[in-house]
Amino acid sequence: MVRRAWWAVVPLLVAGVTGCGAVIAPPLASGQAASINLSLTTVPTIRSVTISPGQASFSDCSKGDAVDNTKSTRRALGFPNGVCFVGSVTKQVFPITITNTGIASYIYVSGSGANPADLGTGWSLCTTRGLARCTGARHRPGADQYQVDNFSAFGTLTTGLTDAPRCDQRFGPGGSCWAVEGMWQKEGIKLIGPTTSSDTSTKWTVTITWTPVPQG
Amino acid sequence: MRLPLWLSLPISALVLTAWPATSYASIGVGVQAGPVRLTGAAHPGGQYALPSVYVVNTGTQPESITIRIERISPGAGRTVPAAWISVTSGPVRLSHAQSARIGLRLVVPRAATPGRYFSDVVAKGSAALAAGGANLGVAAATDLEFTVAPGVASAGWFSAPGWLLPYVAVVIVLGAVVAAIRRTGLRIRIERGPARAGTGGRTGHGS
Repeated sequence: MVRRAWWAVVPLLVAGVTGCGAVIAPPLASGQAASINLSLTTVPTIRSVTISPGQASFSDCSKGDAVDNTKSTRRALGFPNGVCFVGSVTKQVFPITITNTGIASYIYVSGSGANPADLGTGWSLCTTRGLARCTGARHRPGADQYQVDNFSAFGTLTTGLTDAPRCDQRFGPGGSCWAVEGMWQKEGIKLIGPTTSSDTSTKWTVTITWTPVPQG
Repeated sequence: MRLPLWLSLPISALVLTAWPATSYASIGVGVQAGPVRLTGAAHPGGQYALPSVYVVNTGTQPESITIRIERISPGAGRTVPAAWISVTSGPVRLSHAQSARIGLRLVVPRAATPGRYFSDVVAKGSAALAAGGANLGVAAATDLEFTVAPGVASAGWFSAPGWLLPYVAVVIVLGAVVAAIRRTGLRIRIERGPARAGTGGRTGHGS
């Protein structure tokens, strides 16, 4: 008799266990208000950019004049026209991450003059074409001039950044700087120094700024 | 030399907890996507309060945000001279994810050429991340639009020089003081006595 009862008890136990989480809601009295919470996501209405560099520093410096003892060392820019990198074109290392954290925008980039630590005579930014042209041989920076290029997996800018923000042609493929929300790019920096420097300071600061810009 | 276990464990914990702070440091700035637009037309010689511009710190580091007027984005219209726009407050200091509104004022010179004007309001963050001698900075731009219509700005139905209001206030206060004294019944009489040699006139006394 007891054995026969198992077939009825087991389904009851299973039903009891599986039904543990279920709670039967009491029926609402007529006229009682009820509500549900719904979450809604909107598109961003902010135009913003965020930059996060990894471990980066100017390195892989080269060129300069060994005869004059002004040849670049690995981490120090030499004269004339020493070249230093943040990141590496050949090793495909791009330490600076630029992320569009807002509404779809064009990402512009600009440089600035280089300032010596002693606040003396700075270096002005020059380009291979345009108004602020580099005055050295073969369109290289002349005295108290320097050039900054940025590079990414999409190649290296060779004309130089300007003081005025311009479309960051290394942000996207085909020279495009259009970025939708969340789009990011990793970039590096190449700096070409002047032929000579009026200021003898050995510490210099340059600033590169990224700006998201509306379509206009 | 091997570190003892009791010493290596706290050092490892310290390194691990410090790691995210250094590896995720970022700088960022945001500005409202909608343009800063003057409602109605401006007139030469007029002064107008522009809608305040919303800025936000989208980075992890605290920073001051300053506003400048600069034509960056493509658009039709004359470039807004930066001198026409004044920021009604100084740089705002914002920590991570904090936002603020910055007031702008448009002052149109009397000799301004009528037409459509266009530029950008650029919010620039003061914080910079150093990447080996290169400072990396951020800014964000939004459009600035307004139209200057012909005709000098009207001064309204009432205009007065700046000194008039304080002058009227002083007169009202003096009048109130005199009225109050008269209501108390207090009388002040000023008499001139006979002049004496070597002394000036004697000023009278109240009763």
